[in-house]
Amino acid sequence: MACGWRGLVLQGDVLAVLSARWLKALGLLLAIVLVSASSVPSSRSAPSAAESIYAAAPARLLQIRTLVADAGRQTSIGSGFLVSADGLAITNYHVVSQVALEPKTYRLEYVGADGSRGEAQLVGVDLPNDLAIVRLEKQDAPFFTFDKAAIEGRLAKGERIYSMGNPLDIGFTITEGIYNGLAEHSYNERIHFTGALNPGMSGGPAVTGEGDVVGINVSTRWGGQLVSFLVPARFAAALLQRVREQGAVPDLRAEVARQLVAWRSTMSASLSKEGFRSTALGPYRAPETAARWFNCWARTNAGATPKPRASINTTTCTGDTSLFVASDLNIGAIQLSHSHIKTIDLNQFQLATLLTQHSQPRLSGGGSFRKWYTAERCHEDFVGAGSTSGHPPLRATWCARAYREFDGLYDVVLVAVTQDQGSEALVSRLSLQAVAYEDAMGIGKRFLEAVQVVR
Amino acid sequence: MIWVEVLSRQHDIAARFRIASPEARIGRGYDNDVIVDDPYVAASHLRVFRDEAGQLVAEDMGSVNGTFLDGHKSRSARIVINGKDTIRIGQTTIRVRDVSHEVERERVAPPDRHVLPIVLAVALAAALLGFYALKVWLTQTGEPRASNYVTPILTIVVTIVVWAGIWALLSRIFSGRSRFLHNLFIALACAAALLIYVELAKIAAFAWTLPSIGAYEYVAIWSIIAVTCFFHLHAIGRARLWLKGTIVALLLVAMIAVLALQQSEAFSDSGRQQATRQLMPPSFRAVPLQDEKAFFGDIAKLKATLDGDRAKPAPAPGEASQ
Repeated sequence: MACGWRGLVLQGDVLAVLSARWLKALGLLLAIVLVSASSVPSSRSAPSAAESIYAAAPARLLQIRTLVADAGRQTSIGSGFLVSADGLAITNYHVVSQVALEPKTYRLEYVGADGSRGEAQLVGVDLPNDLAIVRLEKQDAPFFTFDKAAIEGRLAKGERIYSMGNPLDIGFTITEGIYNGLAEHSYNERIHFTGALNPGMSGGPAVTGEGDVVGINVSTRWGGQLVSFLVPARFAAALLQRVREQGAVPDLRAEVARQLVAWRSTMSASLSKEGFRSTALGPYRAPETAARWFNCWARTNAGATPKPRASINTTTCTGDTSLFVASDLNIGAIQLSHSHIKTIDLNQFQLATLLTQHSQPRLSGGGSFRKWYTAERCHEDFVGAGSTSGHPPLRATWCARAYREFDGLYDVVLVAVTQDQGSEALVSRLSLQAVAYEDAMGIGKRFLEAVQVVR
Repeated sequence: MIWVEVLSRQHDIAARFRIASPEARIGRGYDNDVIVDDPYVAASHLRVFRDEAGQLVAEDMGSVNGTFLDGHKSRSARIVINGKDTIRIGQTTIRVRDVSHEVERERVAPPDRHVLPIVLAVALAAALLGFYALKVWLTQTGEPRASNYVTPILTIVVTIVVWAGIWALLSRIFSGRSRFLHNLFIALACAAALLIYVELAKIAAFAWTLPSIGAYEYVAIWSIIAVTCFFHLHAIGRARLWLKGTIVALLLVAMIAVLALQQSEAFSDSGRQQATRQLMPPSFRAVPLQDEKAFFGDIAKLKATLDGDRAKPAPAPGEASQ
């Protein structure tokens, strides 16, 4: 996802047209739009709920600007809101990531909806939930409180909630929407908010009619209509608690790496615990994860023109686990895919050529190679995953690369092609981003063992 | 009677003079029997006559630049003519022969047409193109199209003919004989070697799990091309073969070094080997199945390599890292 809001808007527009149905395209709201409430005829006599909520907001609602320290100009903008009288404010991690990773190059500034402005200091981050806390030089300031029902998860689907922020740097805005519970198939909890969020509103609060915070604006789905997401308020409350308890501000760059590693190891453990279930593809049995935070889709070339010379049926399971780490690094995606390729009128050599095209081990990039990764190293061999006849011989290729910045994290891809028949084969691919090497080996081993054949 | 021959640099005969008198005078002046238009030759340079013993002798008549036996660095004031050695005056080479000089025996003329080599060349070319067409067919996974065969085959034919033609032209320039058929054979053999090597390498890389074969393919390919060039040079002439061999070997080493540099730079730019991992039918497997435990043991070893890479600083632009 992009760094500047112009980039985001552009990308958003393009992706809205192209977005593939099995890919979740999330647009972070680093900066953006607003369909203003003016289209709703507001009665002159009785103020609308939005009007009264916004009336109380200005002193507590902020725009957070990331500035290039030397130039003194903003490179990205987002929103935020005060949550304590002594000047602690919540925003998104992706709004302040540049300051967290390059504190010498960037600094933060806030602009209040009441016109106040000043320096802001980053004091805490929660990478998995895309949250951050900044400290402003304020005393006895008014602030937002968290909604108790939301924190306890008792909010009813359909409730009207209001999101605030400064979209596209065109001025502070309030927009109305509907609370739709938690998004399904998401590893990290996200509230599904049906309302218009736009770039620049990232980090702004979404509040109930009473003005209590339910969640924090974080992203929209490209290609969706008003499909937006909020980080549940309880994560913000937990981060606030943690920041209050910490003494000095920790080295945030190290903290980002630490949280990333911890988050990944929890996820690997969870993936291992959920285990694999078997799915049938022709005579083959292929492993599919049982975890609910995967989206699985199938593809076939059966109806293709010209008539295909081999049938290719593919299932792909993608984990919605990608995480914003830096403006040029989104990592953590997990993908399992299996293609059953069976000849229609190809001979063994031609089928092998087709299999070659489908089995190249490509590490999918989450960021630019030079900056973030070491060169990839590969190992390949013929493997017998089990002694019984149910395990076909495999041609397995393993490629891995390390992250330069994050000790103990690797990108891994494992491709296995069954070698039991010349006329058909299963090409299985496991792709893990930002994972501990031992975890990847453990998952890879179970993955290989689960590739079976029934004849 | 004496024959005086003026020779070209390549020792072809440029002019031949028949001297009926017992003595021949050679020089730039118009009072000579043989006039040599060479500014480094004296007006009266050389005199050829029969001495008391009856043998032909060439004698310098006091020129400034002198007379040399060809290949020698010191002047010879008096040279006994044997009909074989050439004489250099100024920048001109001449040869003097007695009328009794013995010539070689008449050669037996070759039969009119060499049909066999032409048939062989056509057969080899047909086999080569057939093999190539087979390869295209075996790697065709989409709709069969005639252009998939015709275009590359036409390209190969034109390339080989042009290649052989260039060598024939060089041969014609330097040795006087084009030997097109001979050069065509060499070019065809080269193409066959390349084609067979590439296919065998693919099979070996799969059968014995040797991915490095693909990575160093360029070494083998350029070696084959270098050997081919050597044979073409050999066909032009057998003289100074060691020099030709050395030049070809040096060019080969330079080429391989440049390509190796290019590859390692591409690797440090992209972080991946560009080689394709080719699959073959399962029956081509030549090694036993690796035990899963051993496979993951090898994978575990990769971690040390990756951590080693990580410890090194990120490659600067253009810097090679292997």
